[in-house]
Amino acid sequence: MHTPRRTGRRALAALLPLALGLAACSSEPSTTGAGDDATDWDALGHDELVERAEAEGEVVVYAFTSRIASIEESFEAEYPGIDVVASDISSSELITRLAAEHAAVSATADVAYVSDAPVVVSELLADGVLLPYVPERVADALPEEHRTPLVANRLSTKVLMYNEEAHPDGPPVSNLWELTEPEWSGKVVLVDPNARGDYLDLATELSLRADEMSAAYEEHAGAPVVLDEGVADAGLQFLKDLYANDAVLVDDTDTVNAAVGATGQSDPPVGFSSSSDRRDNADEGWALQVASGVVPSPGIVFPALLGVTANAAHPAAARLLIDYMMGDETETGGIAYEPFYVAGDYPTRTDVVPPAGAIALDELGAWQIDVEATAERRDDVADFLLTIQ
Amino acid sequence: MTLLARTSAAARRPAAWLAVVVLAILVVLVAAPLAALVGATIGEDADGAWGDVLASPMSSALLWQPLAGSLLVGIGTGVLSTLVGAFLAWVVVMSDVPGRRAIGVLAAIPFALPSFAIALAWESVFRNDLIGGSPGLLVSLGVPVPDVLAWGPVPVVLTLVAHYYSLSFVLVAAALANVGGDLVAAAELTGASRLRVAGRVVIPVVTPAVLSGFLLAFAEGVSNFAVPALLGLPVRFHTLSTRLYGAISTGDAARGSVLSIVLVVIAGLILLAGGRMTAGRSYSTITGKATRARMTTTGGWRWPLGGLAWIVVAATAIVPGIVLAVSTVLQRTNRLDGGLTLHYWTGESDPGISHGMRGVLRDPAVMQALGGTLALGVTVALGAVVIGTLAAQVVRSLPRARLVGGAIGLLSYVPFLIPGVALGAAFIALFGAPVGPFGSLYGTFWIIVLAGVAASLPFAFQTSKAAIGQVSGELDEAAVLTGASGMRRFGRVTLPLVSRGLVNGGLLVFVTMVRDLSVVVLLVTPATPLLSMMTFRYASEGFAQQANAITLIIAVVSVTATLVARTLGDGRDARRGQDRRPA
Repeated sequence: MHTPRRTGRRALAALLPLALGLAACSSEPSTTGAGDDATDWDALGHDELVERAEAEGEVVVYAFTSRIASIEESFEAEYPGIDVVASDISSSELITRLAAEHAAVSATADVAYVSDAPVVVSELLADGVLLPYVPERVADALPEEHRTPLVANRLSTKVLMYNEEAHPDGPPVSNLWELTEPEWSGKVVLVDPNARGDYLDLATELSLRADEMSAAYEEHAGAPVVLDEGVADAGLQFLKDLYANDAVLVDDTDTVNAAVGATGQSDPPVGFSSSSDRRDNADEGWALQVASGVVPSPGIVFPALLGVTANAAHPAAARLLIDYMMGDETETGGIAYEPFYVAGDYPTRTDVVPPAGAIALDELGAWQIDVEATAERRDDVADFLLTIQ
Repeated sequence: MTLLARTSAAARRPAAWLAVVVLAILVVLVAAPLAALVGATIGEDADGAWGDVLASPMSSALLWQPLAGSLLVGIGTGVLSTLVGAFLAWVVVMSDVPGRRAIGVLAAIPFALPSFAIALAWESVFRNDLIGGSPGLLVSLGVPVPDVLAWGPVPVVLTLVAHYYSLSFVLVAAALANVGGDLVAAAELTGASRLRVAGRVVIPVVTPAVLSGFLLAFAEGVSNFAVPALLGLPVRFHTLSTRLYGAISTGDAARGSVLSIVLVVIAGLILLAGGRMTAGRSYSTITGKATRARMTTTGGWRWPLGGLAWIVVAATAIVPGIVLAVSTVLQRTNRLDGGLTLHYWTGESDPGISHGMRGVLRDPAVMQALGGTLALGVTVALGAVVIGTLAAQVVRSLPRARLVGGAIGLLSYVPFLIPGVALGAAFIALFGAPVGPFGSLYGTFWIIVLAGVAASLPFAFQTSKAAIGQVSGELDEAAVLTGASGMRRFGRVTLPLVSRGLVNGGLLVFVTMVRDLSVVVLLVTPATPLLSMMTFRYASEGFAQQANAITLIIAVVSVTATLVARTLGDGRDARRGQDRRPA
């Protein structure tokens, strides 16, 4: 077992004062607000939390989605005394920014809403940049894996998609290993896992589920899988065979969608993408559909996480916002949850009814990633993929 | 002479003091982020990143192949951009080709268009069925397109050339405008043919501008990420920049830093080689006895040359501009089969279209971001040009201080190659905490300006250097006789003569700054909205039309700035032309 690679993200920020001979400027983390105080947030009643948050009057949030703008609007309507200051940047930049701000002990966000869970866990949680907060109100409705290491408010997917127009009778493949056959040569599109975190998580999951991949191979070929030299498991063997079968690597999920989904194709490719992108079918003239029921699994579901920063200037408002973003007591999560209530994304709360128009999570059969295990295996998988280009 | 004596002699020269100031600025803005980058690749946290990159089973995919790709793209882009740009500059400034003024306007535009728009234009013509989806124009017409034309190094290089030849054009055109007619006349008296004069006399004297253009196009070519990612990845063609961004975005910042250091080293070597080529020669063309530039009559070549020039600017400025504009009114992303609509510009919110987003012109945030973008572009352009000019002046006035000149030249050249995100993180570390009596700059407009100035110094420095290199020392010497101080000589003699070059530099900085994303992304706050951030936001959510609409607004702003700058430059030239008429 390897430990996750330390990536030097922190070093980048932390070494700078040394490089400049300004080491004196680095000070201990400030204790603005009540960031690291003894407040037992879990023991605080909701009314008291609101009272404290309104006294703070502001909450700064960094989010990986522009949908945070709707949250800002509805939260401010609900709590007129609290101003939400929202920035949206991509997850990897968000992580870098939080780490750099933490190291510089400068102003930072109070709340982070972020994807790329394995990186968050190994870089932000491990370094104490982010702290967990699970609103007591929803704790009972959350399965353990969505409460720790950070609370997740929804799940997204990276699953095998196909063109429904060309294949009206259902998915053209029933087993992932078919994609390594000559018939699918040059006909599988995905974003390069060495360029995008969520696709690296997908590749990592294939390796972590090597036993299932192995069984699926046997089902497909009628013989046990034979591993090439230097290939550690059946999942990695699948990736190697897929690459050798001229899988097309692209730069962006939308490129995958347009390649797989565009209507009017006689022999369209299949590809890995987000099942929630089906909602753009009408807009874009796509015919995307999820290849559910594929053995051993069509892909992964992974969390979008919420955390409080260690140096939060508005610790109460931060927790109130996280509480709010988990949705209200209605079965759709109400207006607070509306921006995330999208067919193809899945609520983490068991008491929220999944949006209509998408296949149920248990029917989909996608693998739920284990964030810590993924964080541990990820770097090795990335390195392996670099050797089979 | 002892070191002490030399030091005290140097201390009496204002140029030496200026050198110290310039170096100090460059240390904070460039050397510090660079040091942080190096620091991030060594030690405990980096986890042997150097070993992984240089000597491991991954090296081939991580370093050697992308390195070959980068060199191919960088040199290809540099050489072809220089050829195309210099040719067009000569056509516009020195020939009698029909419509040359219009060519001059159009040739400056491609740089103001986003590189992905030109890549998109390429795709819409040459895309084949390699990755599925909708084919391009040629395939739809039944013309088979080989992969080598549709994907990989060929389209990457050609697309980047279509984007960056503007740099060479702008620089060389400014230099040619300063080539006096007496020089050309003297050459023609020797009986040389007109084309020979152009090739043997005119081109060599604009060498500094040509070299600067090449250096800028090379650096831009190797650091561009969008184009190789879009057109190269499908055939697994990588450059260092695609690998570098991949490493950073999969959470491996240390490896990304190693790769960008490799890029910086390569750029340093290229810079060194370029410096060797022009070392010890004088390229001054602005002398005390100025005459007006002379036109070369091209005779029978007039139409073929003109046709060629027109084809180039049409393919690189007009077509991509149209493609970009059309992409904003297509109901469906990059597809004609959905029909046209103005919804993305002016529509009210409609739940059926792009999740109920309203058109960009109905969004008050767009106007706010436009204001922020203009303020940033202008401020950064001014700042970068001032620093770039001072740096170029120091390098020129201290020709013997090799080390100082070399350090200034290198530090002014490499900021392109520091990944924007790393630069941003470094600026958070530098200005995140209050330093002494100063409050924290972090979260303000000014930290974005500082980072922007750092990132765009190469344009300012190279354009200033090319311009100042043309001013003959005799002018300065004449001014010395009048007893004018160094500052006064610079302000009254050198500055007016190089103003056109400086305006060009400022323009290039402005154009890159208004669309820059990678540098500002870590530093913006909701209080400092920018158009480039809006484009990113729309694009990342899959709203391609809105993203392209904002991009088009940015392009219009840049093109307008280009036209204004040209008008200013031409106005000055006209006035100067009267002043410079030989008595």
